[in-house]
Amino acid sequence: MKNVTKEQFVAILRDAGITETQMQSLHRLFETRHPDQHQAFLEHLGIAAEKIREIRARSAD
Amino acid sequence: MITISQAARRYRLSRSTLLYYDRLGLVRPTYRTAAGYRLYQEEELERLEWICRYRASGMPLEEIRALLDPEGRGRSRVEAALHRRLDELNRQIAALRRQQQVAFELLGGRGDGKRRVARAMTKRQWVALLREAGMTDAEMAEWHRAFERRSPAAHQDFLESLGIDPEEIRAIRTHSGKRNGTEVSDGGKAERESAVRRRRSRSPLCDRRPGSSAA
Repeated sequence: MKNVTKEQFVAILRDAGITETQMQSLHRLFETRHPDQHQAFLEHLGIAAEKIREIRARSAD
Repeated sequence: MITISQAARRYRLSRSTLLYYDRLGLVRPTYRTAAGYRLYQEEELERLEWICRYRASGMPLEEIRALLDPEGRGRSRVEAALHRRLDELNRQIAALRRQQQVAFELLGGRGDGKRRVARAMTKRQWVALLREAGMTDAEMAEWHRAFERRSPAAHQDFLESLGIDPEEIRAIRTHSGKRNGTEVSDGGKAERESAVRRRRSRSPLCDRRPGSSAA
């Protein structure tokens, strides 16, 4: 059982050819459509609480 | 007994892969037709099924061969039993996650305390999210391949966390493993696979069902 890290997750999206615009859309959609799950997923990636707050604030606009 | 093409379809592998396994001595069909075509017996197919399962766990072919080797029979029986147990546990976990999601949806997301219960994304939600963000089916397929390449174990874990059942996970991961260089491929196979991909209008993540026919 091995959790994917934040670095791996981002790298995998880039490998798949996702653009910067798509990346931003993803953040925004995740936050607006599934805020609780967004929080849970960022925790699952092992990101610190303060950084999660930052990410979610940026994703909300 | 079935032919190599039938075996390939059943286990969603290519003929080349089965020929490769034959060459490696991993699964070696003993019977041939009058015309010289390989025929797979029931015990050889069972062995092939196990190889697929071990591959789905990320185990390299050499290790699988050691595991199935008669000389290691005592140790491999224990390991085989453990693998079966893990498989069963994963099945139960996937089923429980699905029930959790249903119960959560029935609540309609009412009540703040109850929202805490199902904080995991489902497969459907992920696919919808990625689609809305503008990801194409080809990009999603590439995403699986990249995930499998970078960390097969994390890929497995991620798919399990979405409540996908083990058979479908195996299908997704086998499909994602074909291009990473560890399986033999020929030019014809690549051609056929892109034709199959063009026919399938949806990504492996949302399309795969156990028992659905391959090319």
